[in-house]
Amino acid sequence: MLGISIFNGLVYGSLLVICASGLAMIYGLRRVVNFAHGALYMLGAYIGYTLSIYLNFWFALVLAPLAMLVIGMLLDKAVFRPLQDRDPLSVLLVTFGLLLVFEDLVRAVWGRGNLSIDVPELLSSSVELFGNPTPLYRLAVIGLGVGSMVALWAWLRFSRTGLYVRAASTDPLTTAMMGVNTERVNALVVGIGTALAGLAGVAAGPMLSLAPSMGGDVLVDSFVVVVIGGLGSLGGALVSAILLGQVQSFGTIYLPSLSAVLPFLMMIAILIWRPSGLAGNRV
Amino acid sequence: MSTLLSFDRVNAYYGNAHILHDFSLDVHEGESLALIGRNGVGKTTVVNALLGQARVRSGSISVDGRARPRWRPYMPAKQGVMVVPQGRHIIANLTVEENLLLGAAIQAKGPWNLERIYQLFPILKERAHTPGTALSGGQQQMLAIGRSLMGNPRLMILDEPTEGLAPVIVDQLGEIIRQVNDQGTTILLIEQNLHLVAGVSRRYLAVEKGSVVASGEVDPQRIEQLQQFVVV
Repeated sequence: MLGISIFNGLVYGSLLVICASGLAMIYGLRRVVNFAHGALYMLGAYIGYTLSIYLNFWFALVLAPLAMLVIGMLLDKAVFRPLQDRDPLSVLLVTFGLLLVFEDLVRAVWGRGNLSIDVPELLSSSVELFGNPTPLYRLAVIGLGVGSMVALWAWLRFSRTGLYVRAASTDPLTTAMMGVNTERVNALVVGIGTALAGLAGVAAGPMLSLAPSMGGDVLVDSFVVVVIGGLGSLGGALVSAILLGQVQSFGTIYLPSLSAVLPFLMMIAILIWRPSGLAGNRV
Repeated sequence: MSTLLSFDRVNAYYGNAHILHDFSLDVHEGESLALIGRNGVGKTTVVNALLGQARVRSGSISVDGRARPRWRPYMPAKQGVMVVPQGRHIIANLTVEENLLLGAAIQAKGPWNLERIYQLFPILKERAHTPGTALSGGQQQMLAIGRSLMGNPRLMILDEPTEGLAPVIVDQLGEIIRQVNDQGTTILLIEQNLHLVAGVSRRYLAVEKGSVVASGEVDPQRIEQLQQFVVV
Protein backbone atom coordinates (compact mmCIF):
# COMPACT_ATOMS: atom_id res chain seq x y z
CA MET A 1 0.00 0.00 0.00
CA LEU A 2 2.72 2.40 1.04
CA GLY A 3 4.83 1.49 -1.98
CA ILE A 4 1.92 2.03 -4.37
CA SER A 5 1.16 5.44 -2.87
CA ILE A 6 4.74 6.58 -3.20
CA PHE A 7 4.81 5.28 -6.76
CA ASN A 8 1.58 7.05 -7.77
CA GLY A 9 2.86 10.21 -6.13
CA LEU A 10 6.01 9.97 -8.23
CA VAL A 11 3.97 9.52 -11.43
CA TYR A 12 1.91 12.65 -10.77
CA GLY A 13 5.00 14.48 -9.53
CA SER A 14 6.73 13.67 -12.84
CA LEU A 15 3.90 15.13 -14.90
CA LEU A 16 3.86 18.13 -12.63
CA VAL A 17 7.58 18.77 -12.79
CA ILE A 18 7.52 18.71 -16.61
CA CYS A 19 4.63 21.16 -16.71
CA ALA A 20 5.79 23.37 -13.82
CA SER A 21 9.38 23.68 -15.08
CA GLY A 22 7.94 25.29 -18.22
CA LEU A 23 5.96 27.70 -16.09
CA ALA A 24 9.03 28.47 -13.97
CA MET A 25 11.21 29.14 -17.04
CA ILE A 26 8.68 31.49 -18.59
CA TYR A 27 8.39 33.39 -15.33
CA GLY A 28 12.15 33.37 -14.80
CA LEU A 29 12.88 35.08 -18.09
CA ARG A 30 9.76 36.94 -19.10
CA ARG A 31 8.42 37.71 -15.61
CA VAL A 32 5.04 36.65 -16.98
CA VAL A 33 2.63 34.85 -14.65
CA ASN A 34 1.20 32.61 -17.34
CA PHE A 35 -2.37 31.68 -16.55
CA ALA A 36 -2.65 30.06 -19.98
CA HIS A 37 -0.07 27.40 -19.06
CA GLY A 38 -2.73 24.83 -18.12
CA ALA A 39 -4.54 25.52 -21.38
CA LEU A 40 -1.27 24.93 -23.26
CA TYR A 41 -0.94 21.58 -21.47
CA MET A 42 -4.48 20.77 -22.58
CA LEU A 43 -3.84 21.91 -26.15
CA GLY A 44 -0.73 19.72 -26.26
CA ALA A 45 -2.79 16.74 -25.14
CA TYR A 46 -5.40 17.32 -27.89
CA ILE A 47 -2.82 17.80 -30.61
CA GLY A 48 -1.20 14.61 -29.33
CA TYR A 49 -4.57 12.84 -29.48
CA THR A 50 -5.05 13.68 -33.15
CA LEU A 51 -1.47 12.76 -34.04
CA SER A 52 -1.80 9.46 -32.18
CA ILE A 53 -4.82 8.59 -34.30
CA TYR A 54 -3.36 9.52 -37.67
CA LEU A 55 0.20 8.40 -36.95
CA ASN A 56 0.87 6.71 -33.61
CA PHE A 57 1.63 7.53 -29.99
CA TRP A 58 5.38 7.89 -30.48
CA PHE A 59 5.01 10.43 -33.26
CA ALA A 60 2.51 12.27 -31.06
CA LEU A 61 4.96 12.34 -28.18
CA VAL A 62 7.60 14.02 -30.37
CA LEU A 63 5.56 16.12 -32.79
CA ALA A 64 2.99 17.59 -30.40
CA PRO A 65 5.66 19.25 -28.21
CA LEU A 66 7.35 20.51 -31.40
CA ALA A 67 4.07 22.06 -32.53
CA MET A 68 3.73 23.61 -29.06
CA LEU A 69 7.29 24.98 -29.35
CA VAL A 70 6.22 26.91 -32.44
CA ILE A 71 2.98 28.03 -30.78
CA GLY A 72 4.97 29.23 -27.76
CA MET A 73 7.39 31.24 -29.89
CA LEU A 74 4.46 32.86 -31.70
CA LEU A 75 2.83 33.56 -28.35
CA ASP A 76 5.98 35.35 -27.20
CA LYS A 77 6.23 37.40 -30.37
CA ALA A 78 2.53 38.28 -30.60
CA VAL A 79 1.65 38.72 -26.92
CA PHE A 80 4.44 38.75 -24.36
CA ARG A 81 6.92 40.95 -26.24
CA PRO A 82 4.48 43.76 -27.08
CA LEU A 83 3.29 43.74 -23.47
CA GLN A 84 6.72 43.55 -21.82
CA ASP A 85 6.69 47.13 -20.53
CA ARG A 86 3.13 46.92 -19.21
CA ASP A 87 2.16 46.43 -15.62
CA PRO A 88 2.35 42.70 -14.67
CA LEU A 89 -1.33 42.63 -13.70
CA SER A 90 -2.50 43.48 -17.23
CA VAL A 91 -0.23 40.78 -18.70
CA LEU A 92 -1.71 38.33 -16.20
CA LEU A 93 -5.21 39.28 -17.34
CA VAL A 94 -4.23 38.79 -20.97
CA THR A 95 -2.93 35.29 -20.21
CA PHE A 96 -6.22 34.56 -18.44
CA GLY A 97 -8.01 35.66 -21.60
CA LEU A 98 -5.78 33.36 -23.65
CA LEU A 99 -6.81 30.47 -21.41
CA LEU A 100 -10.47 31.09 -22.32
CA VAL A 101 -9.64 31.41 -26.01
CA PHE A 102 -7.67 28.15 -26.07
CA GLU A 103 -10.41 26.27 -24.22
CA ASP A 104 -13.10 27.46 -26.62
CA LEU A 105 -10.89 26.74 -29.59
CA VAL A 106 -10.45 23.17 -28.40
CA ARG A 107 -14.21 22.82 -27.80
CA ALA A 108 -14.84 24.02 -31.34
CA VAL A 109 -12.34 21.64 -32.94
CA TRP A 110 -12.53 18.50 -30.77
CA GLY A 111 -15.91 18.85 -29.08
CA ARG A 112 -16.88 18.88 -25.41
CA GLY A 113 -16.79 15.17 -24.68
CA ASN A 114 -13.99 13.28 -22.97
CA LEU A 115 -11.42 11.64 -25.19
CA SER A 116 -8.52 9.42 -24.39
CA ILE A 117 -5.22 8.49 -25.97
CA ASP A 118 -4.54 4.75 -26.24
CA VAL A 119 -1.60 3.40 -24.31
CA PRO A 120 1.09 2.42 -26.84
CA GLU A 121 1.39 -1.32 -27.32
CA LEU A 122 5.01 -1.42 -26.19
CA LEU A 123 4.02 -0.08 -22.76
CA SER A 124 0.59 -1.69 -22.38
CA SER A 125 1.70 -4.56 -20.14
CA SER A 126 2.23 -4.54 -16.39
CA VAL A 127 5.21 -5.39 -14.26
CA GLU A 128 5.37 -6.61 -10.67
CA LEU A 129 6.38 -3.77 -8.33
CA PHE A 130 6.13 -3.87 -4.50
CA GLY A 131 4.12 -7.06 -4.93
CA ASN A 132 1.48 -5.36 -7.08
CA PRO A 133 0.97 -5.34 -10.84
CA THR A 134 2.01 -1.87 -12.05
CA PRO A 135 1.26 -0.51 -15.53
CA LEU A 136 4.49 -0.16 -17.45
CA TYR A 137 3.23 3.11 -18.91
CA ARG A 138 3.20 4.78 -15.49
CA LEU A 139 6.77 3.67 -14.94
CA ALA A 140 7.68 5.20 -18.29
CA VAL A 141 6.11 8.53 -17.25
CA ILE A 142 8.51 8.69 -14.29
CA GLY A 143 11.33 7.97 -16.74
CA LEU A 144 10.12 10.78 -18.98
CA GLY A 145 10.04 13.17 -16.03
CA VAL A 146 13.58 12.27 -15.01
CA GLY A 147 14.82 12.35 -18.62
CA SER A 148 13.37 15.75 -19.43
CA MET A 149 14.70 17.29 -16.21
CA VAL A 150 18.19 15.93 -16.88
CA ALA A 151 18.03 17.20 -20.47
CA LEU A 152 16.82 20.62 -19.36
CA TRP A 153 19.48 20.86 -16.67
CA ALA A 154 22.25 19.82 -19.06
CA TRP A 155 21.06 22.31 -21.66
CA LEU A 156 21.05 25.18 -19.17
CA ARG A 157 24.32 24.17 -17.56
CA PHE A 158 26.51 23.23 -20.51
CA SER A 159 25.24 24.82 -23.72
CA ARG A 160 26.04 28.30 -24.99
CA THR A 161 22.35 29.18 -25.24
CA GLY A 162 21.83 27.82 -21.72
CA LEU A 163 24.48 30.27 -20.50
CA TYR A 164 22.62 33.14 -22.18
CA VAL A 165 19.34 31.99 -20.62
CA ARG A 166 20.87 31.94 -17.14
CA ALA A 167 22.51 35.32 -17.69
CA ALA A 168 19.37 36.93 -19.09
CA SER A 169 17.27 35.65 -16.20
CA THR A 170 19.25 37.83 -13.77
CA ASP A 171 20.46 40.75 -15.90
CA PRO A 172 18.88 41.00 -19.36
CA LEU A 173 20.39 44.39 -20.23
CA THR A 174 23.99 43.43 -19.50
CA THR A 175 23.48 40.15 -21.33
CA ALA A 176 22.26 42.06 -24.37
CA MET A 177 25.22 44.47 -24.14
CA MET A 178 27.52 41.49 -24.72
CA GLY A 179 25.82 40.98 -28.08
CA VAL A 180 23.18 38.42 -27.11
CA ASN A 181 19.87 39.04 -28.85
CA THR A 182 17.80 38.58 -25.71
CA GLU A 183 14.52 38.86 -27.62
CA ARG A 184 15.41 35.67 -29.43
CA VAL A 185 16.46 33.97 -26.20
CA ASN A 186 13.13 34.97 -24.64
CA ALA A 187 11.16 33.60 -27.58
CA LEU A 188 13.07 30.31 -27.40
CA VAL A 189 12.50 29.98 -23.66
CA VAL A 190 8.77 30.69 -23.94
CA GLY A 191 8.73 28.15 -26.79
CA ILE A 192 10.49 25.49 -24.70
CA GLY A 193 8.29 26.24 -21.68
CA THR A 194 5.21 25.77 -23.88
CA ALA A 195 6.64 22.59 -25.40
CA LEU A 196 7.14 21.19 -21.88
CA ALA A 197 3.49 21.93 -21.06
CA GLY A 198 2.52 20.10 -24.28
CA LEU A 199 4.80 17.17 -23.47
CA ALA A 200 3.16 16.79 -20.06
CA GLY A 201 -0.24 16.92 -21.80
CA VAL A 202 0.58 14.14 -24.25
CA ALA A 203 2.13 12.02 -21.50
CA ALA A 204 -0.99 12.49 -19.34
CA GLY A 205 -3.28 11.51 -22.23
CA PRO A 206 -3.20 7.71 -21.74
CA MET A 207 -3.67 8.04 -17.94
CA LEU A 208 -6.15 10.88 -17.47
CA SER A 209 -9.01 11.59 -19.84
CA LEU A 210 -8.89 14.58 -22.18
CA ALA A 211 -11.38 17.39 -21.60
CA PRO A 212 -11.17 21.09 -22.45
CA SER A 213 -11.06 21.91 -18.74
CA MET A 214 -8.31 19.40 -17.92
CA GLY A 215 -5.72 22.19 -17.57
CA GLY A 216 -7.31 23.69 -14.47
CA ASP A 217 -6.02 21.27 -11.84
CA VAL A 218 -2.59 21.07 -13.41
CA LEU A 219 -2.36 24.87 -13.60
CA VAL A 220 -3.19 25.30 -9.92
CA ASP A 221 -0.79 22.53 -8.87
CA SER A 222 1.94 23.92 -11.14
CA PHE A 223 1.58 27.32 -9.52
CA VAL A 224 1.81 25.74 -6.10
CA VAL A 225 4.95 23.92 -7.24
CA VAL A 226 6.55 27.07 -8.66
CA VAL A 227 5.70 29.18 -5.61
CA ILE A 228 6.92 26.55 -3.15
CA GLY A 229 10.07 25.97 -5.16
CA GLY A 230 10.93 29.65 -5.37
CA LEU A 231 9.71 31.70 -8.34
CA GLY A 232 11.68 30.96 -11.48
CA SER A 233 13.80 28.24 -9.88
CA LEU A 234 14.03 24.87 -11.66
CA GLY A 235 15.74 22.96 -8.85
CA GLY A 236 13.12 24.23 -6.42
CA ALA A 237 10.34 23.22 -8.81
CA LEU A 238 11.76 19.69 -9.04
CA VAL A 239 11.84 19.19 -5.28
CA SER A 240 8.41 20.72 -4.71
CA ALA A 241 6.78 18.75 -7.57
CA ILE A 242 7.95 15.49 -6.00
CA LEU A 243 6.71 16.69 -2.59
CA LEU A 244 3.36 17.76 -3.97
CA GLY A 245 2.93 14.48 -5.87
CA GLN A 246 3.40 12.61 -2.58
CA VAL A 247 1.05 14.92 -0.68
CA GLN A 248 -1.65 14.40 -3.31
CA SER A 249 -1.16 10.65 -3.42
CA PHE A 250 -1.19 10.11 0.36
CA GLY A 251 -3.89 12.73 0.87
CA THR A 252 -6.42 10.90 -1.30
CA ILE A 253 -5.90 7.72 0.68
CA TYR A 254 -5.49 8.85 4.27
CA LEU A 255 -7.20 12.26 4.38
CA PRO A 256 -9.71 12.18 1.52
CA SER A 257 -11.86 14.95 2.99
CA LEU A 258 -8.85 17.29 3.11
CA SER A 259 -7.08 16.22 -0.08
CA ALA A 260 -8.25 19.21 -2.10
CA VAL A 261 -6.79 21.72 0.35
CA LEU A 262 -3.60 19.83 1.22
CA PRO A 263 -1.47 21.45 -1.51
CA PHE A 264 -2.40 24.87 -0.18
CA LEU A 265 -1.77 23.90 3.42
CA MET A 266 1.64 22.68 2.30
CA MET A 267 2.24 25.93 0.45
CA ILE A 268 1.28 28.01 3.49
CA ALA A 269 3.50 25.95 5.78
CA ILE A 270 6.51 26.21 3.48
CA LEU A 271 6.08 29.92 2.82
CA ILE A 272 5.91 30.62 6.56
CA TRP A 273 9.10 28.66 6.96
CA ARG A 274 10.84 30.09 3.84
CA PRO A 275 9.03 33.15 2.48
CA SER A 276 10.81 33.12 -0.88
CA GLY A 277 10.38 29.40 -1.48
CA LEU A 278 12.68 26.41 -1.11
CA ALA A 279 15.35 27.70 -3.46
CA GLY A 280 15.04 31.40 -2.62
CA ASN A 281 15.94 33.40 -5.67
CA ARG A 282 18.49 31.00 -7.10
CA VAL A 283 17.84 29.54 -10.53
CA MET B 1 42.01 57.54 -39.81
CA SER B 2 38.48 56.21 -39.94
CA THR B 3 35.69 57.09 -37.53
CA LEU B 4 34.45 54.16 -35.46
CA LEU B 5 31.69 55.81 -33.45
CA SER B 6 29.97 59.04 -34.28
CA PHE B 7 27.22 61.07 -32.60
CA ASP B 8 25.86 63.77 -34.88
CA ARG B 9 23.83 66.49 -33.13
CA VAL B 10 22.04 63.96 -30.94
CA ASN B 11 19.13 65.02 -28.73
CA ALA B 12 18.36 62.29 -26.21
CA TYR B 13 15.60 62.03 -23.61
CA TYR B 14 14.46 59.97 -20.65
CA GLY B 15 10.70 60.34 -20.90
CA ASN B 16 10.32 64.09 -21.29
CA ALA B 17 13.61 64.99 -19.63
CA HIS B 18 15.92 66.38 -22.31
CA ILE B 19 19.43 65.14 -21.42
CA LEU B 20 21.72 65.40 -24.47
CA HIS B 21 21.50 68.66 -26.41
CA ASP B 22 22.90 68.59 -29.95
CA PHE B 23 25.61 66.28 -28.68
CA SER B 24 28.33 65.46 -31.22
CA LEU B 25 31.34 63.20 -30.85
CA ASP B 26 33.70 61.28 -33.12
CA VAL B 27 35.84 58.40 -31.94
CA HIS B 28 38.65 57.60 -34.37
CA GLU B 29 40.07 54.13 -34.89
CA GLY B 30 42.99 53.43 -32.55
CA GLU B 31 42.73 56.49 -30.35
CA SER B 32 42.19 56.78 -26.61
CA LEU B 33 39.58 59.42 -25.93
CA ALA B 34 38.20 60.64 -22.58
CA LEU B 35 34.74 62.03 -21.98
CA ILE B 36 34.88 64.07 -18.78
CA GLY B 37 32.30 65.97 -16.77
CA ARG B 38 30.53 66.14 -13.43
CA ASN B 39 27.80 63.80 -12.23
CA GLY B 40 24.51 64.34 -14.00
CA VAL B 41 25.78 66.14 -17.11
CA GLY B 42 24.73 63.25 -19.35
CA LYS B 43 27.90 61.16 -19.73
CA THR B 44 26.16 57.85 -19.10
CA THR B 45 23.29 58.96 -21.32
CA VAL B 46 25.77 58.83 -24.20
CA VAL B 47 26.13 55.09 -23.56
CA ASN B 48 22.41 54.66 -22.98
CA ALA B 49 21.56 56.39 -26.25
CA LEU B 50 23.90 54.03 -28.10
CA LEU B 51 22.23 51.05 -26.40
CA GLY B 52 18.75 52.34 -27.22
CA GLN B 53 17.99 52.89 -23.53
CA ALA B 54 17.58 56.66 -23.87
CA ARG B 55 15.28 57.96 -26.57
CA VAL B 56 16.98 59.73 -29.46
CA ARG B 57 14.51 62.21 -30.93
CA SER B 58 16.84 63.89 -33.40
CA GLY B 59 20.36 63.49 -34.68
CA SER B 60 22.03 60.20 -35.51
CA ILE B 61 24.36 57.69 -33.96
CA SER B 62 26.53 55.63 -36.28
CA VAL B 63 29.03 52.85 -35.81
CA ASP B 64 31.50 52.40 -38.66
CA GLY B 65 29.63 54.99 -40.68
CA ARG B 66 26.39 53.04 -40.38
CA ALA B 67 23.50 54.88 -38.73
CA ARG B 68 20.38 53.11 -37.48
CA PRO B 69 16.92 54.54 -36.86
CA ARG B 70 16.76 52.67 -33.59
CA TRP B 71 19.59 51.07 -31.62
CA ARG B 72 18.94 48.05 -29.45
CA PRO B 73 21.18 46.85 -26.60
CA TYR B 74 22.70 43.93 -28.53
CA MET B 75 23.50 45.86 -31.71
CA PRO B 76 26.70 47.78 -30.83
CA ALA B 77 28.42 44.58 -29.66
CA LYS B 78 27.70 42.91 -32.99
CA GLN B 79 29.58 45.76 -34.68
CA GLY B 80 32.53 45.49 -32.35
CA VAL B 81 31.60 48.08 -29.72
CA MET B 82 31.67 46.61 -26.21
CA VAL B 83 30.56 48.54 -23.14
CA VAL B 84 32.03 48.08 -19.66
CA PRO B 85 29.01 49.43 -17.82
CA GLN B 86 28.98 51.74 -14.85
CA GLY B 87 28.68 49.68 -11.69
CA ARG B 88 30.34 46.75 -13.55
CA HIS B 89 27.18 44.60 -13.71
CA ILE B 90 28.83 41.27 -13.05
CA ILE B 91 26.14 38.62 -13.42
CA ALA B 92 25.53 37.17 -9.98
CA ASN B 93 24.36 33.67 -10.86
CA LEU B 94 27.29 32.99 -13.20
CA THR B 95 30.81 32.02 -12.20
CA VAL B 96 33.82 34.18 -13.09
CA GLU B 97 34.55 31.97 -16.10
CA GLU B 98 30.93 31.97 -17.26
CA ASN B 99 30.86 35.77 -17.05
CA LEU B 100 33.92 35.80 -19.32
CA LEU B 101 32.34 33.31 -21.75
CA LEU B 102 29.26 35.50 -21.93
CA GLY B 103 31.51 38.25 -23.29
CA ALA B 104 32.41 35.98 -26.21
CA ALA B 105 28.75 35.81 -27.31
CA ILE B 106 29.38 37.38 -30.71
CA GLN B 107 32.29 34.99 -31.35
CA ALA B 108 34.44 37.66 -32.97
CA LYS B 109 37.89 36.58 -34.11
CA GLY B 110 40.82 38.39 -32.58
CA PRO B 111 43.72 38.25 -30.15
CA TRP B 112 41.64 37.81 -26.97
CA ASN B 113 40.52 34.47 -25.58
CA LEU B 114 40.12 32.88 -22.16
CA GLU B 115 43.80 32.01 -21.94
CA ARG B 116 44.99 35.54 -22.75
CA ILE B 117 42.51 37.09 -20.30
CA TYR B 118 43.82 34.78 -17.58
CA GLN B 119 47.39 35.86 -18.41
CA LEU B 120 46.38 39.49 -18.07
CA PHE B 121 44.38 38.89 -14.86
CA PRO B 122 45.83 35.83 -13.04
CA ILE B 123 43.41 36.38 -10.13
CA LEU B 124 40.49 35.59 -12.42
CA LYS B 125 42.01 32.23 -13.25
CA GLU B 126 42.47 31.44 -9.55
CA ARG B 127 38.84 32.26 -8.86
CA ALA B 128 37.43 30.98 -12.16
CA HIS B 129 34.74 28.81 -10.57
CA THR B 130 33.52 31.14 -7.82
CA PRO B 131 30.46 33.32 -8.37
CA GLY B 132 31.40 36.53 -10.18
CA THR B 133 29.98 38.74 -7.47
CA ALA B 134 32.11 37.04 -4.78
CA LEU B 135 35.11 39.03 -6.08
CA SER B 136 36.27 42.34 -4.56
CA GLY B 137 35.33 45.59 -6.27
CA GLY B 138 38.67 45.90 -8.07
CA GLN B 139 38.58 42.26 -9.19
CA GLN B 140 35.03 42.71 -10.45
CA GLN B 141 36.22 45.67 -12.53
CA MET B 142 38.97 43.46 -14.00
CA LEU B 143 36.32 40.85 -14.73
CA ALA B 144 34.08 43.41 -16.43
CA ILE B 145 37.00 44.52 -18.61
CA GLY B 146 38.01 40.93 -19.33
CA ARG B 147 34.45 40.10 -20.26
CA SER B 148 34.29 42.84 -22.87
CA LEU B 149 37.72 41.90 -24.20
CA MET B 150 36.39 38.38 -24.84
CA GLY B 151 34.27 39.98 -27.59
CA ASN B 152 37.48 41.18 -29.28
CA PRO B 153 36.08 44.72 -29.51
CA ARG B 154 37.35 47.34 -31.89
CA LEU B 155 36.04 49.98 -29.48
CA MET B 156 35.77 49.55 -25.74
CA ILE B 157 33.65 52.07 -23.83
CA LEU B 158 34.43 52.22 -20.11
CA ASP B 159 31.82 54.03 -18.03
CA GLU B 160 33.30 55.35 -14.75
CA PRO B 161 35.51 52.31 -14.12
CA THR B 162 37.17 53.87 -11.04
CA GLU B 163 33.93 54.28 -9.13
CA GLY B 164 34.46 52.92 -5.62
CA LEU B 165 38.03 51.69 -6.23
CA ALA B 166 41.11 52.31 -4.06
CA PRO B 167 43.82 54.57 -5.60
CA VAL B 168 46.32 51.73 -5.94
CA ILE B 169 43.76 49.74 -7.97
CA VAL B 170 43.11 52.80 -10.14
CA ASP B 171 46.81 52.82 -11.10
CA GLN B 172 46.65 49.13 -12.08
CA LEU B 173 43.51 49.81 -14.06
CA GLY B 174 45.25 52.60 -15.97
CA GLU B 175 48.11 50.27 -16.84
CA ILE B 176 45.67 47.66 -18.17
CA ILE B 177 43.66 50.11 -20.26
CA ARG B 178 46.93 51.40 -21.79
CA GLN B 179 47.96 47.85 -22.70
CA VAL B 180 44.60 47.16 -24.31
CA ASN B 181 44.86 50.38 -26.33
CA ASP B 182 48.45 49.57 -27.38
CA GLN B 183 47.22 46.25 -28.76
CA GLY B 184 44.86 48.01 -31.12
CA THR B 185 41.56 48.43 -29.29
CA THR B 186 40.15 51.94 -29.44
CA ILE B 187 39.20 53.34 -26.02
CA LEU B 188 36.43 55.72 -25.00
CA LEU B 189 36.86 56.41 -21.29
CA ILE B 190 34.01 58.12 -19.44
CA GLU B 191 35.52 59.45 -16.21
CA GLN B 192 35.74 62.09 -13.52
CA ASN B 193 39.03 60.80 -12.15
CA LEU B 194 41.59 63.02 -13.93
CA HIS B 195 44.48 60.97 -12.58
CA LEU B 196 43.26 58.03 -14.67
CA VAL B 197 42.51 60.27 -17.67
CA ALA B 198 46.08 61.65 -17.52
CA GLY B 199 47.40 58.09 -17.49
CA VAL B 200 45.47 56.66 -20.41
CA SER B 201 43.83 59.25 -22.67
CA ARG B 202 45.41 61.39 -25.36
CA ARG B 203 42.40 63.50 -26.24
CA TYR B 204 39.44 64.73 -24.18
CA LEU B 205 35.93 66.07 -24.62
CA ALA B 206 34.36 67.94 -21.70
CA VAL B 207 30.61 67.69 -21.21
CA GLU B 208 28.37 70.20 -19.44
CA LYS B 209 24.57 70.16 -19.43
CA GLY B 210 24.40 67.55 -22.15
CA SER B 211 26.70 69.22 -24.70
CA VAL B 212 30.39 69.17 -25.46
CA VAL B 213 31.85 72.45 -24.17
CA ALA B 214 35.57 71.92 -24.67
CA SER B 215 37.99 69.50 -26.31
CA GLY B 216 41.69 69.11 -26.87
CA GLU B 217 44.85 67.11 -26.22
CA VAL B 218 45.40 65.65 -22.75
CA ASP B 219 48.65 67.00 -21.29
CA PRO B 220 49.53 64.80 -18.28
CA GLN B 221 51.83 67.56 -16.92
CA ARG B 222 49.03 70.10 -16.85
CA ILE B 223 46.05 67.89 -16.09
CA GLU B 224 44.87 70.33 -13.38
CA GLN B 225 43.65 72.59 -16.16
CA LEU B 226 40.78 70.13 -16.70
CA GLN B 227 39.72 70.38 -13.04
CA GLN B 228 37.12 73.03 -13.86
CA PHE B 229 35.12 70.41 -15.77
CA VAL B 230 34.90 67.85 -12.97
CA VAL B 231 34.91 69.68 -9.62
CA VAL B 232 31.57 70.78 -8.24
